[in-house]
Amino acid sequence: MTLMRVLFYLMSFIAVGSALYAALSKNLVRSIFIFFVTLFALAGLYVIALADFVAVTQVVIYVGGILVLILFAFMLSGRETLNVIEQHKGKFINMAKVPAVILAALFLAVIVNIILKADADNLPWVKQAIAQKNETTPISSTIDNIGVNLMTTYLLPFEAISVLLLMALVGAAHLSRKEGRA
Amino acid sequence: MNYYFTYFIAAIGLFSFSAFFALFGVYAERKISAFIQDRLGPTETGKYGSLQTLADILKMLQKELIVPAAADKWLFMLAPAVIFIAVYLGFAALPWAPGLIPSKTNIGLYYIFAIISIETLGILMAGWGSNNKYSILGAMRSAAQIISYEIPAGFAIIAVVMIAQTLDLQVISAQQGILATEKIKFAGFWDVSQIGGLFSWNVFRAPHLLIAFVIYFIASLAESNRAPFDIPEAESELVAGFHTEFTGIRFALVFLAEYSMMFLVSMIAVILFLGAWNTPLPNIGGVKLATWTTNVPWGILWVVIKTLGLVGVQMWIRWTLPRLRVDQLMNLCWKVLTPAAFACMLISGVWRLWLM
Repeated sequence: MTLMRVLFYLMSFIAVGSALYAALSKNLVRSIFIFFVTLFALAGLYVIALADFVAVTQVVIYVGGILVLILFAFMLSGRETLNVIEQHKGKFINMAKVPAVILAALFLAVIVNIILKADADNLPWVKQAIAQKNETTPISSTIDNIGVNLMTTYLLPFEAISVLLLMALVGAAHLSRKEGRA
Repeated sequence: MNYYFTYFIAAIGLFSFSAFFALFGVYAERKISAFIQDRLGPTETGKYGSLQTLADILKMLQKELIVPAAADKWLFMLAPAVIFIAVYLGFAALPWAPGLIPSKTNIGLYYIFAIISIETLGILMAGWGSNNKYSILGAMRSAAQIISYEIPAGFAIIAVVMIAQTLDLQVISAQQGILATEKIKFAGFWDVSQIGGLFSWNVFRAPHLLIAFVIYFIASLAESNRAPFDIPEAESELVAGFHTEFTGIRFALVFLAEYSMMFLVSMIAVILFLGAWNTPLPNIGGVKLATWTTNVPWGILWVVIKTLGLVGVQMWIRWTLPRLRVDQLMNLCWKVLTPAAFACMLISGVWRLWLM
């Protein structure tokens, strides 16, 4: 057990545990805050996978943006709405949950199947990359690569996303405007 | 094992530094506010009241930790820790001198930018956990303000990054003095690679960064919830905003976080715009002032002096300007700072292509 491995299992345990708490807790605000722990543990896992840029982006976008947005939506909605959700009790097994159970079971089957078939220890493309020395080392800078690729190979998807975001922005501005005479 | 030991030493050192700085900062704030308002400030405890903040902290440590009956206990208790740790984590990537940095990462600047946004979450935790309308209003205002001002701050930072071409804070620092590996030009025409000093700082390398610096500085005031952007704490309306319910050591942690945040954002401003640990003294012919004053002890001295200078300006502004209203706050952010920051970013691109 190297230190890396200990850290990996620690982070995975925190991520899975906190995700379970977020899904099972009846207290919605606490689930959101514990979701922050999940996202942070995931960022840690990205760092272990040498994807430091992805890790920091995860923190900026999810923690600094999306989570705060969810909390805003939460705190601006009334207490009554929240209480209805918190008091929602049902039997552990009931008809309303059947589709969710089926979906979850199917998804689990797909994941298990993939893990068994993939044989992650000797993937051909990984071996090829190691043979060609085409790999990321802990000290290499990842941002140059990301920048160059975004501006060359993936320019069209990048621009398409920016147009999509612009549309969302215009839509939000339109919706939040007070109704005029038109 | 020695390897890990150094990490612990660095972490403890940074913690004691931020605690010591908060003590000093509170005392300085009182004395500066007293000077500006023509009062005396603390005078009783110790010579010139210098032991006042130490006495305050001793008092706070002894106070009872009160948890309001209706509060969400866990959120309430964890919030001060989250707020402080978020700021404290940022210190890990700050360079202090040539070759002296707790954690040399390729994306140090981006990391600090990410870490600062975590503080918002701690503030929201405190506001919601207290179960008090003043707290929640303060927390909402604070979060809205921090998120809005992250945009001009971010674009001002990008303007620098486009000139520096890196996110590594140590490399950005080294570029602004005689240790630079590339050619440094003062205002785009005068080669100062060997002269160094004041002339090779980022604000003088590309003069439009002076505007970016002002934008970043204003936005950083808002991000650390300092006046004139202190509507989250607005005493006249909200008692004390998100930390109304906190007592004793928890309140001390919130305060520690505020002062550490002031130091953190000022130090980032110094690193990005004002030459980091580089000396302001240039080489003049045979008098190699810059070469003599660029090493580890001098580096620490310069960076601390510059940062304390900026912290002093923050305090000066706090006790001079009145508090902004919410609509004025948002107008300033979206109609003045954001377009100006965009313009700086554009100029940076052109500058990098044609003048460097």
